[in-house]
Amino acid sequence: MKRILQKLIVAAALRLVHAALVELCKLDPYVHAQFCSLPNGTSYSIYTGHGAPVLHVRWDGQKLLRLKEVRERATCELHLKSLADSFLMFTGQIGLAQGYARHAFSMQGEIADVMRLARLVNRAEAYLFPSFLSRRILPELPSLPVPSLRLYGHLIFGFLTRSYS
Amino acid sequence: MTPAYFEYQNAVKILCGQNALDRIPDELRQWGASRPMVLTDAVLMKLGLAELVVDLIRAEGCPPASIFTDIPVDSSLGVVNRVAAVFREHNCDSIIAVGGGSVIDSAKGVRLVLSQETDDILSLSGVENISAGRHVPFIVVPTTAGTGSECTGVAVIRNEAQGVKMEFLSPFVEPDAAVLDARMTLKLPARATASTGIDALCHAIEAASCLQKNPLSDAHATAAISLIFQNLLHVVQHPSDSAARLQMALAATLAGIAFSNSMVGGVHAIGHALGGVCHVPHADVMAILLPHVMHFNLPRARDSYASLLPHMIGMDAASSVPEEERAQAMVNAVSHLTEHLHRLAGLHLRLSDLGVKEEDMERVAETALNDGALIVNPVALDRERVLDLLHRAY
Ligand SMILES: [Fe+2]
Repeated sequence: MKRILQKLIVAAALRLVHAALVELCKLDPYVHAQFCSLPNGTSYSIYTGHGAPVLHVRWDGQKLLRLKEVRERATCELHLKSLADSFLMFTGQIGLAQGYARHAFSMQGEIADVMRLARLVNRAEAYLFPSFLSRRILPELPSLPVPSLRLYGHLIFGFLTRSYS
Repeated sequence: MTPAYFEYQNAVKILCGQNALDRIPDELRQWGASRPMVLTDAVLMKLGLAELVVDLIRAEGCPPASIFTDIPVDSSLGVVNRVAAVFREHNCDSIIAVGGGSVIDSAKGVRLVLSQETDDILSLSGVENISAGRHVPFIVVPTTAGTGSECTGVAVIRNEAQGVKMEFLSPFVEPDAAVLDARMTLKLPARATASTGIDALCHAIEAASCLQKNPLSDAHATAAISLIFQNLLHVVQHPSDSAARLQMALAATLAGIAFSNSMVGGVHAIGHALGGVCHVPHADVMAILLPHVMHFNLPRARDSYASLLPHMIGMDAASSVPEEERAQAMVNAVSHLTEHLHRLAGLHLRLSDLGVKEEDMERVAETALNDGALIVNPVALDRERVLDLLHRAY
């Protein structure tokens, strides 16, 4: 039962992170610039444990697309070593740096691509989590050009209009 | 404080001290190997150090099946793939790397290519992403006391096409044995002794102050710092002191074990970028950047730095420093050491001395942001902060 609940929460968190990055690409010039520095077609796959949710995304030069399935290996694959690790990371109990320090994931691809993703995910977490939580998991709180509430507004509208599937 | 979770690994057998080199053939025999490939560079060939190893293993009935002497100072993925092909051509069964960081890391790459039965090292890039594969016995004989690479699970190799240093992290990168023999570092010139010694110090300090630090890496790091404090200045002034040379070799190995289990940080992230973009020697860059990055990290690394002070300047001297000033005193001690080594051995103190061009700094900063070592630096580093550090060190 606990595992099923963790899977559901991790699946929801993966969708939220993807949706937040899609919106932030439009709202936050820093995130937009980070995406624009990626070569078109750069793809990421995040596996969260055995039989656990997976997120495949690809940057097509304009938007971060979520893919239902992939035929070839992503540019960069992150494999969380257990669902327990994924749950800690996607519920904001540990950040990406702590996850790395704990050997919580293995990675196939170039480390530079993980660092690019890390900057984006850290930024998204700074928006999504309340500041007392972000302060605990991020090395430093960035100054954000857009209030979190505005992002949440866009996300609610986006989910209602099925913009992220 | 003990982290909520940490890992520690060191599977390298360490052969340390008198006549350690002479034990190499027996080590190979224990692994069932008899046709080693010796990897080294032209300078070590000229100095007779590689020859010393080759003669010893030949005398013990284990002649090399191939000797590759063309590892460049700044090795690359292409070199690794070429050497692996030569290994196969000559039907070798094991690797002996004799050299500094470039030779050792290239050999690690070659071993990976062979054990994973591929032709291209690039296909293996990642973190803990490969399984054990075929075992290729692998012995490392370091000829500097600095890199610590003889005991680490990481290989840093230049990607010539992208102008970046790539990291390959895996426990299967670790050699089977490291041979620490004072004969290999006796001829090291004073400046290289100084810079490689500071590289080892940098490994220990970054290992003991980064976000991945843990009690076991701390134990190795502090032991390394104490040995460096006791021996580095001495060995620069008395280069033929074999006992002190061996202590420095041991310090470098201890620091290697430390950072292999807790990573490094900002000094190495920026240093790798400078190496990739400007082709400057790794140890020289470490010596220049270390005091600047420590000063920058100080607000978040206060406790770590303070706890390192007794190892860096001795227990008696450290106890006379008020507790709240110990972290700053640690940074000052490192600065003083590099300045002292500058006067004694001509250690470089500024990036401009290495021929780094100001116009390269933007590219160096961009490259540094994508280096894996940055993720565990105690203070977040962005483009502006890296540029600021580069200008301070210029
Ligand atoms: Fe180093």
